[in-house]
Amino acid sequence: MEKIDRKKTVAEQIDDEANQYVTFLISGESYGVEVLCVKEILGMTDVTPVPNTLSFMKGVINLRGEVVPVVDMRIKFGMSEKEYDAFTVIIIVEVKRRLIGMIVDAVSDVADIPIDSIQNTPHFTTRIETDFIKGIGQLAEQLIIILDVDKILTSDEFQKIDQEDVSE
Amino acid sequence: MSDQAILEVFHNEAREIIENIETELVSLEESYDSEKVNTLFRYFHTLKGSSGIAGLMEVSEFTHEIESLLDRVRSEEIQVTPSLIDTVLASVDLVKVMIFDEDQADGLSSQKEKILTFIGKNSNEVTDSSRPLPQKRKLNYFRVKINFKDNVFEYGIDPLMIIEDLVTVGTVIEEKIYRSRVPALDEINPEKCYLSWMYIIGTKHAKKKIDEIFLFVFDDNDIEITDITEDYREDITSDVNEEKKIGNILVQKGLITEDELLFALSNMKKEEKVGKALVRLKLVTEKDIEKALGVQVEVRKKIESTTIRVERAKLDGIMNLLGEIVIGQSSIVRFADELDEDKAYALKNSLYGLNRSTRQFQEQIMAMRMIPVGPTFSQFKRFVRDTSRQIGKEIRLEIMGKETELDKTVIEEITDPLKHMIRNSIDHGIESTEERIKLGKDPTGIITLNAYHQEGCIFIEISDDGKGLDAEELRSIAVSKGIIAKDKELTEDESYALIFKPGFSTANAVGDLSGRGVGMDVVKSNIDSLRGSVQIITEKNRGTTFRIKLPLTLAIIDGMLIKVGKSVYIVPLLSILESIRPRKEDVKTIKGQGEVVMVRNEYISLIRLYKYFDQVPAFENPWEALVVIVESNGEKLALMIDDLIGQQQIVIKSLDNTVTKDRSISGAAILGDGNVSLIIDIHGLLSEISSLRG
Repeated sequence: MEKIDRKKTVAEQIDDEANQYVTFLISGESYGVEVLCVKEILGMTDVTPVPNTLSFMKGVINLRGEVVPVVDMRIKFGMSEKEYDAFTVIIIVEVKRRLIGMIVDAVSDVADIPIDSIQNTPHFTTRIETDFIKGIGQLAEQLIIILDVDKILTSDEFQKIDQEDVSE
Repeated sequence: MSDQAILEVFHNEAREIIENIETELVSLEESYDSEKVNTLFRYFHTLKGSSGIAGLMEVSEFTHEIESLLDRVRSEEIQVTPSLIDTVLASVDLVKVMIFDEDQADGLSSQKEKILTFIGKNSNEVTDSSRPLPQKRKLNYFRVKINFKDNVFEYGIDPLMIIEDLVTVGTVIEEKIYRSRVPALDEINPEKCYLSWMYIIGTKHAKKKIDEIFLFVFDDNDIEITDITEDYREDITSDVNEEKKIGNILVQKGLITEDELLFALSNMKKEEKVGKALVRLKLVTEKDIEKALGVQVEVRKKIESTTIRVERAKLDGIMNLLGEIVIGQSSIVRFADELDEDKAYALKNSLYGLNRSTRQFQEQIMAMRMIPVGPTFSQFKRFVRDTSRQIGKEIRLEIMGKETELDKTVIEEITDPLKHMIRNSIDHGIESTEERIKLGKDPTGIITLNAYHQEGCIFIEISDDGKGLDAEELRSIAVSKGIIAKDKELTEDESYALIFKPGFSTANAVGDLSGRGVGMDVVKSNIDSLRGSVQIITEKNRGTTFRIKLPLTLAIIDGMLIKVGKSVYIVPLLSILESIRPRKEDVKTIKGQGEVVMVRNEYISLIRLYKYFDQVPAFENPWEALVVIVESNGEKLALMIDDLIGQQQIVIKSLDNTVTKDRSISGAAILGDGNVSLIIDIHGLLSEISSLRG
């Protein structure tokens, strides 16, 4: 019998097809994440703050019996904080089998972006970290910054926390 | 099912089978028993079949070779010798690599050759130069029917003495006294013997020994001694795969012989059951039949109650859903509270009923997660065998409390610490063979693993009969390593606890076993993280016992809900000593040390929780707010809170370590109103605070 193929990861499967993205707004700019990573979208709810953590970690919420951490993307991207309003949503994404919520200004659409209209991340001169930006997609004259959720949540800061935990 | 899924199922199964094989092999080495060989044979057979299904033909072919080797052992063609056991163990190791680490398997072809040559050699030669293993003496079973003549006392014979002689020969398995000959009270002649007896006895001795007991009464009385060893089964319900007939059960219990059964069968009336016939023929009593029927039912149950494998994630899913139901329920209760008394009455009543069911439901799910510790303990047998051999000590692992049940997660978390502690006992606890002989001890050291339930907790003990801990020696090592100050005074218990300090190792040379970067300090912190504790009991030259105390489950605790500012936090009820409202004059500020509260002439440092958690409090002054006195590892803290809300059973949800690195938060729970509340870990809080103070 031939050797068994390892199952393809979700990301690999997406790359094979024409990709769909959930797009959302942060500070007037459009961002997108792959639709298959998104578990659900919630309105803003009560967040229980957690002591002694990173500034963008807003706390934890109850997602139908599960405790899910939520991250404020504005703080994460180094932008100014904004009062949460009726448009503020939490996008729940699944990263490495765990759930995490992203607080964003508003959710806009689910868009098909052909692979060839996505270009690799240019080298920004701004402060914006580029390692969690997968590329820039173009959709009807509109630029969409495509985020790599895997990287958002395993970026340096998170690793730092993990390491500190281990060393203790 | 996809190929991947098949492989996964196979891996799970294989892991279990291999563990069982190792345990069985080590136990076979201790004493030979043909049943053990049979079991081993079956395990290899299963492994062969499943690996074939999973497409691992190489494994299947290899295990087939071992299976046929065992088959020859089974048919007593070849004997079990230590070298045979070594070979089979080595082949198990090889199979492990072949199954779980396919890429590595190619490098092991020489080892495989070696094993196959051994098997090949053994197929021709029956004799093996190494000594055969001791055979376990099998017991003989006898059924003894004693029916004295009623005037037996006149001959100066006391039936009691004879029976007492009989029971000393072996163990009594069944004892029956027949009273049918006893007359009515007014007709009893005290000088007559009316009773008859029946014994089933298991003994090492031959029938002759029993005959001797009855030597003087044999001729005049009705004594019947039957050898039932062939048919007797100690535990009828074990190892069954088919239904048992009532007659067979009676034969196996030793109550009737095969011949008697055949006699009854041939004498059966039309439409009569075997049991009835046996009773009619006075071979057994109604009661015997009832008992045998009970066994039959049990056997049938055993056949029916097969187990199914359930992924733990599914159980957790049910548990989560149930949590949702409980939350939903409590919100209905809150609505009911707002209704009129008489309207709400019926609603509340049915809610109470529902509440009871959900609680039972929860308990049932919890019970599903509980598994006996036996398999975990048994897997250490091989570990002890291998490591003690490696360092040239003779050590045997004894296991008690196998059937004690524990949450599967706790078992998984405790396996590694246990292994390390056993390793520690092998390395440091038990003396070398020469030393033991010098001290007049048994050259074979014994490590005992025991598990039991007590005080709503589970205790696991690792004991050795080695040299014990020396408080003075431990102290001086700690001083030389700079772990404690030279002039620091320690009690004996504190000295023993030094071995849990980081950087402490009593081994002079870093041996092969220890010194792998994990020490007893890691063991201790692992146990701490399970909310457990370790106690050390030691006596010089008698040995050391590590007693680990663990909660039954990690999933549920009794918590006290406290309010700080707008948020609700949970403090484990076990940590709380009392809650008080201090007088103004009892709160004092100590320069550089922060605030303290005096509680019955004891100063306890006060933590303003609202400051720690960055909340806006309802009260700024401790004498207006409440203070909860908590304790962890003998250290006390006074936590200033706004209010106590109440006590509740809490289902713990673990927090990802990406959420916070704060040690004072051990997890979260979802409250009745759907909000998430953080659980404060007092031990962690203490260490956070001491690190804040620097």
